[in-house]
Amino acid sequence: MKLYEYAIRRILLMGLVLFGLSLFMFYLTRGFLPPSFALAPYITPRMNDAQKLALAQSLGVATKSCASFQAFSAFQQSCLVPVWAQYTQWLGNVLSGNWGYTLLPTAGPAAKTTTIFFSRFPFTAQLAVMGAILTILIGIPLGIVSATHNNKLPDHISRIVSLGGYSIPQFWFGYVLLIIFVLYARIGGLGLLPGSGSLATNCAICFANVVTPKAVTGAPILDGIISGNLHFAWDSFVAMILPAVTLSITSIGALTRIVRSSMLEVLRQDYILLAKSKGLQERVVIYRHALRNALLPAVTVAGLLTAFLFGGVVVIEIVFDLPGVGYTSLQAVNVFDINFVELYVLVTALIIVVTNLAVDIIYAKLDPRIRY
Amino acid sequence: MSETEPQIEARRSADLRLALHLFRKNPLVLVGLVLSVGSIVLALLSPFLVNSTSWQITHPLLKNCWNNPLFGWGNSNIAHDCSSSYVLGTDSYGRNLLTMIVLAIPVDLQIALEVVLSAVAIGIVFGATASYAGGIVDEVILRVTDIFLAVPGILLAIVFMVVFGRTLTVLTGAVLLIWWPTYVRLVRSQVLSEKERPYVESLRSIGAGRFRILFRHIVPNSIYPLLVQATLDIGSVILTVSALTFIGLSPSPLLPELGNLASLGSQYFFTAPWLIIFPGLTILLISLGFNLLGDGLRDILDPRLRR
Amino acid sequence: MDGSTQDILTVKKLQVNFHTFAGQVKALDGVDLSVKRGEVLGLVGESGSGKSVTALSIEGLLPQNAEVVGGQIILNGKDLLTEKQGEIRTARLREMAMVFQDPLTYLNPVLTVGSQILEILETDRRVFTPVVVAARLEDLNKAAREGTLTEKETREKASLEALLAEQTLGRREFKRLAKAYAVAILGRVRLPEPERMFKMYPFELSGGMRQRTMIAMALVRRPALLIADEITTALDVTVQAQILKLLRELKDQIDASILLITHDLAVVAEICDRVAVMYAGNIVEVAEVGELFKNPLHPYTQGLLAAIPRPDAVRGELTSIKGSVPNLIYPPSGCRFHPRCPSAFEKCPLSKPPLVEARAGHYVECFLYGG
Repeated sequence: MKLYEYAIRRILLMGLVLFGLSLFMFYLTRGFLPPSFALAPYITPRMNDAQKLALAQSLGVATKSCASFQAFSAFQQSCLVPVWAQYTQWLGNVLSGNWGYTLLPTAGPAAKTTTIFFSRFPFTAQLAVMGAILTILIGIPLGIVSATHNNKLPDHISRIVSLGGYSIPQFWFGYVLLIIFVLYARIGGLGLLPGSGSLATNCAICFANVVTPKAVTGAPILDGIISGNLHFAWDSFVAMILPAVTLSITSIGALTRIVRSSMLEVLRQDYILLAKSKGLQERVVIYRHALRNALLPAVTVAGLLTAFLFGGVVVIEIVFDLPGVGYTSLQAVNVFDINFVELYVLVTALIIVVTNLAVDIIYAKLDPRIRY
Repeated sequence: MSETEPQIEARRSADLRLALHLFRKNPLVLVGLVLSVGSIVLALLSPFLVNSTSWQITHPLLKNCWNNPLFGWGNSNIAHDCSSSYVLGTDSYGRNLLTMIVLAIPVDLQIALEVVLSAVAIGIVFGATASYAGGIVDEVILRVTDIFLAVPGILLAIVFMVVFGRTLTVLTGAVLLIWWPTYVRLVRSQVLSEKERPYVESLRSIGAGRFRILFRHIVPNSIYPLLVQATLDIGSVILTVSALTFIGLSPSPLLPELGNLASLGSQYFFTAPWLIIFPGLTILLISLGFNLLGDGLRDILDPRLRR
Repeated sequence: MDGSTQDILTVKKLQVNFHTFAGQVKALDGVDLSVKRGEVLGLVGESGSGKSVTALSIEGLLPQNAEVVGGQIILNGKDLLTEKQGEIRTARLREMAMVFQDPLTYLNPVLTVGSQILEILETDRRVFTPVVVAARLEDLNKAAREGTLTEKETREKASLEALLAEQTLGRREFKRLAKAYAVAILGRVRLPEPERMFKMYPFELSGGMRQRTMIAMALVRRPALLIADEITTALDVTVQAQILKLLRELKDQIDASILLITHDLAVVAEICDRVAVMYAGNIVEVAEVGELFKNPLHPYTQGLLAAIPRPDAVRGELTSIKGSVPNLIYPPSGCRFHPRCPSAFEKCPLSKPPLVEARAGHYVECFLYGG
């Protein structure tokens, strides 16, 4: 099988996963919640009952034979459409980007769900990407050191870090960091790092008065760099330090453990013995011969780690009071704005399956034995 | 080649020595054992240690009774004396924080055990079926687990709780929704590798039935990795449950549950940081205990580490 | 067996223990061994007799749970057991090379054959510069003698000759020459299309080709001592013969001594000059090949030779040595072979027999011959 044939097969499978997920989410929300919940995001304040009924019928949540909106609201049998019959209508709407209006009280009247979501998503993505970078930069070296110094001091330290990271409640770790870096580590009457918010203007190492540039990407650090407003970029970056560290602590623990155990496994292999017998330096044996083989299993968990990071942002954004989609989703949940959360779930799932696909291709590059 | 009695005896004692050696080499396992067993014992004893209905009694008057003699933190200008019996102070409902933590431990542990045991059961049934039936059944089960592994678990749980309401049962179900696919995959891969072992071949040759082989021989033989994973996951489940209640999905704001207690404290954390520190620390210790124990169990049970 | 200077390798009273959970395995119990310059010494014995442990001790690559309790390993006049780690690594790079048994698991699956050879040369550019330059010059000289030298090559020859005197070479130039040299070595181990082999991954090669690759990795270093550990065991019989033929050719071409570890007496008869017989962590007999086959002295060697099936033997007469290899956690006292020995007498369990020269150049560790 050629690489592109394999890629096509994988993309089809990806589609299947997303389809299955949308089906599951759809049955969960439409099957167990009253039909009025499905209608709510599409209603605008000035609609009269006739318009609402027409809307419900066009969305496929009310039957054509439904007599009045009152009958629909009272869930009369004649108005109810079976769940399976609603799916295609829903899918059509969703795929064409029609997610209705958000019910968030803070969003203002007639704000589209997609508009609100995608204006806040880049911020969350920025947080997740920073978390991923930290995970890779710390997790992999820590795992290597742990394996090459098996049962010695560096191993014990890294095992404690990884197990601790794996066992620590993220929200709690966030608050502990806040206490340390905002309450206790103070310079000139200001905390070393900012306490909350997406822009740091009130801490020891940030600039006080910065101009907010026009949003281009929606991710503040990138926007600052693009617009040449480096003070803004720096302040946004500083505001991200504690959230990113908090977010990545769990995945650092997980990755360190995986790298450590697969490195230990590889170091026991015969080809490591041959490499040593060739008189190669320890460094070459570890980085050239062992690491590449040891990273293969680590690469396969990239999808899981992505899921971990995008799930973790919900908690982190609450602790640090950040304006991302995680925080917004929770507000949405409180007003039963199901569409917003569904959008979050499906977009994240898309990111995760694409990550998995990319990982498979990287895997093939790393391991010449794989032929499709 | 069959082993003679003394040889088996010798191998067993070598196994035992190995286990003891690993225990000594990794003293952290002992810490894990103490923490995990300690938390279970505390959970079982908690009805006898504290009044188990005290969580329903709120004292609005004591709301700001945040004196914390343990750390010397607190509000000195509070009129009434409330420091003596409240070692960790009171929470924002005026309840004794220490009592609440003792009451919360069994709540969290019970959810964790329910989730992990159900996930193991689901894993054994579907995982073993998938690997043994193979073909289309295997494919369908695998794809379904794919779906659930492609979503951040916490989001799935949030949607689940929004739809079915905020009760303890729904919370347990929501967390189970996150965990079951892992176990299906774990059991599946275990059974697949166990199936290739020579002893299965010989069982088949003497005419043992498929399901008998599967559930009497293969499943018990692949139980060790399952045991390790389950131990590790008790810690992770407690983390997830407390994260969900922390972000406001608690069945009741009064519920003594570690994440919920921390959530109550989070509003006051600049003035009374211990309100969040102690519930969180309890979660950390329990979760760390089970993780250390699971890690040690893996070293002890993993035959590849033996020499 | 004096440590005379004509020996490239002398192992004296080497004792190695393994710490296992079942107890301490006394794997080597005072091994004495010497390899003379230019000879092929066969080391034979059953599996578990300590042949590979001996080889790994010489290489300094024993696993973590092994401990060298005593003895000396003298390679080119240096005692490796007292050297620093870095010195031992350099010795592995320049003076000795080991070829292992299983050609699949010993090659790194994700690196090409070529890069696994090149990395050896690149480990120490200073040392290998004269080697790769000389190899290229040899080619150019050959071309010069045949009169096919181009103008460009003439210039290259002149500059290389100058370089050889200075012994410095740019990184890229070194890499170019090293690659040419590695390809030439792949050709010398009779791999077809060495240029193409250079870019292939181990899993794309057959067992015999992989074994040749591993031999090439040893050859590029021009080692004074080549340790070959059961190199034919994992191969088909026809491939075995080819590899042995190759080894014999190379032995004449390069100026190396070979320590050939095998359990196969036929291999010994084919290629070795001398043989050392090993049993349960001891060398029990050392002799010239012809002498040993004609005149086995140690009861264990006699048993081994009698166990070789012969086509001319009467059917059903296949003999074997009674008993099984002893447990080395609780080894037999005195001579470790005495529980299985047909001619054991009261002295055998009491103390370990010394190695005596029973005939000229024929040493044996057995009370039947004195001591």
